[in-house]
Amino acid sequence: MARQADSNSLRLSGGVFTLTVLRLQSLDPDPLEQQWQEQSAALGILQGAPVVIDLADCKEQEISQELPKIIQILRQRGCTPVGIRNATPAQQAAADQLGLAQLRGMESSPQSMKKNHQRPELTPASPPLEHPLRSGQRHYARGQDLICLATVNAGAEVLADGHIHIYGPLRGRALAGVQGDETAQIFCQRLEAELIAIAGIYQTLDPQHPLWGRAARIFLDGEQMAIMPLEK
Amino acid sequence: MAQTIVVTSGKGGVGKTTTSAAFASGLALRGHRTVVIDFDVGLRNLDLVMGCERRVVYDFINVIHGEARLQQALIRDRTLDNLYILPTSQTRDKEALSAEGVARVMAELQQEFDYIVCDSPAGIETGALRALYHADAAIVVTNPEVSSVRDSDRILGILAARSKRAEEGREPVQEHLLLTRYSPKRVQEGEMLSLEDVKELLRVPLLGVIPESPVILQASNQGIPAIHMKGSDVAQAYEDTVARFLGEERPLRFVQQEKSSFFKRLFGG
Repeated sequence: MARQADSNSLRLSGGVFTLTVLRLQSLDPDPLEQQWQEQSAALGILQGAPVVIDLADCKEQEISQELPKIIQILRQRGCTPVGIRNATPAQQAAADQLGLAQLRGMESSPQSMKKNHQRPELTPASPPLEHPLRSGQRHYARGQDLICLATVNAGAEVLADGHIHIYGPLRGRALAGVQGDETAQIFCQRLEAELIAIAGIYQTLDPQHPLWGRAARIFLDGEQMAIMPLEK
Repeated sequence: MAQTIVVTSGKGGVGKTTTSAAFASGLALRGHRTVVIDFDVGLRNLDLVMGCERRVVYDFINVIHGEARLQQALIRDRTLDNLYILPTSQTRDKEALSAEGVARVMAELQQEFDYIVCDSPAGIETGALRALYHADAAIVVTNPEVSSVRDSDRILGILAARSKRAEEGREPVQEHLLLTRYSPKRVQEGEMLSLEDVKELLRVPLLGVIPESPVILQASNQGIPAIHMKGSDVAQAYEDTVARFLGEERPLRFVQQEKSSFFKRLFGG
């Protein structure tokens, strides 16, 4: 019996997924194979993971012959390539043949990404938050600094593209420079945070921290998070 | 217009129903026409604490669903003529509390009473949200321990965001902190958060402190609101709480550890 087309057989919905990006330095399969064997323990986390192949460093190379081999190696190692990005048109054509999706976003090289990650154009800060931010509440100052006059309680979260100033105890989470601005800083009158982060580099805190309960300034010193007392 | 007060906490077992019963009775004792509503659909405790469980015929849910008139469901309190109880159903669940239905019942109660006390269920799901939605004031019942404080903080955030007043951009819900099961002795021994700790963490004006006491259990087992337990510290603490709510100044009692008297120490009393 022919099945009637069921109007409920398909539902579209959206989702945001985190994928591992494998950035190939070369399209030669042999070094890949070799490196995989040498670092099998570290790369073991890719077992069963969907990965995206980033070809930003292989712009000059012809891929049509090599890509199928690379895909095969990845599959043998247990990961599932689902797409490519930063591909040249020729590379894209090869990927199409293999049924890999083209993924967009972050197409630039890391050097120019750094440039994008400089302090974005910030608009003047909104009026300060006057009331305590409570457990379960979250406040994001998009394209702005964030100023909070009251407490950020445990379980609450403040985020800003720029700096975060908290003129009360910080007991929850504070994430500054969430778009990647590494010059963003966090200032608080009393550091009792659950988590602090700047440009994606984060740290959890506990009461054993030497600056616990004190006024503090948090910033990035290279890749390291620095926590300094505010008072001299 | 009646004032609507939600008694809420986030966490269970901290004393919401005990407080609802005692607080509503306290308002009625002072001559205000008061109704207390049980929003804890499916568990139904308020009628037990108020000692009217055998008089429940129709309930809040029946009224919401148009199966009974409000007057049929309201139960007059045993001792106070101007106090009514609107019990809830034990056989339904919280989804039965439709937003429109609750709004309709609240509007009707507004006409009849001075104060509407809403006894919220624990948690932050439908029942609790419906209970706090219409509130003009909130009594956040908190025990002096970390998880209770955290849940109170969460419910305060929800009050600020999801109440009708917040949605309509009106003056925010008036927040009051009520610290219950407080034991100065255990605070001194470091087993409990102190009054100052809780105030510092929540930053909400303190309405009262109810001491930990076996009287609470006796009262609820007998179906008598704790405020009627004459001479007990708990009854006095609830009286103070009601008085402060109505704008009177009352000094805090029962927050210091009692010094045992010379004779008690001498004879090991």
